[in-house]
Amino acid sequence: MSGFYVLAVPEFSALIDAAMKSGGCTVHRKRGHYQFVEFENEIEILRCDTRMNEAVWFGCLTGGLDGKIAHFDRDRLKLVATNEPILGVGAR
Amino acid sequence: MTKPLELHPRLHGVDHTARPTWKLRETVHFYRDILGLPLVHCISAKGWGREKENHADFLHFFFDSGNESTIAFFYYIGTQQPPELVVPKGYMAMANHTAWRVESEVELLEWQRRLESHGVNVSQFIQHEIIESIYFRDPNWYPLEITRSLREVEEPDMVDAGATIDAAMELEDSGRWTNIEQLWRSKVKFVQASQANEQAPA
Repeated sequence: MSGFYVLAVPEFSALIDAAMKSGGCTVHRKRGHYQFVEFENEIEILRCDTRMNEAVWFGCLTGGLDGKIAHFDRDRLKLVATNEPILGVGAR
Repeated sequence: MTKPLELHPRLHGVDHTARPTWKLRETVHFYRDILGLPLVHCISAKGWGREKENHADFLHFFFDSGNESTIAFFYYIGTQQPPELVVPKGYMAMANHTAWRVESEVELLEWQRRLESHGVNVSQFIQHEIIESIYFRDPNWYPLEITRSLREVEEPDMVDAGATIDAAMELEDSGRWTNIEQLWRSKVKFVQASQANEQAPA
């Protein structure tokens, strides 16, 4: 199950709205202090849909990621499913 | 072994922080006249009596930075600034900074305008999740910040901070930690543990 966790605080709530707008994901109900946004193979989120400034945007996955970052710049985030080990050969 | 919380000694905020300066006049002008912080105390002493160390005679002076805190300086008379105490260029040295609190956006704007009116190079407002800040430098190149809280820190923040740091320490121990993606992936199990903990019956 691929996805990312979003801490239930105001700064990050727009990430869920942006993920829903991008489609292809399921937003699970809150457990503990987090919501899980599940995607199947990939998901692409645009910063303009999050209303986040860059300081928050570049920390937007801080809730935890079950997947891999395929692209992350100031405008666009693309996540894909992965089976690669966290400290694998591909570690940058 | 960690003691129960009620047995811990408590801290009650910042009394003072201190750093050395080799620019006495410029430092006093900046903190007293530009920032407007009252000069409230000054020690002048013949070393600390530490003759074996060849300790310089010195001034140790304090500016009131509000809420019963001060920002303090040492001026070592007749000495030259050692190269290792020159503030390095670049972002890493900015980690060592002082951040003062204000209570509103209006106050933050007033500080920005005041600094600009005295020719201080000051940043725009920058929001970092729970705070909003302006950044600038003093004449010694020490980084300074004035910040306001955007909201209270609450339980989710503390739970999340614990999960982040637990994951980070585990990665540090691995000796192979190179990027934030590894942290975000490693953190999942700690987040899930916190969720299970939250949902466990009392």
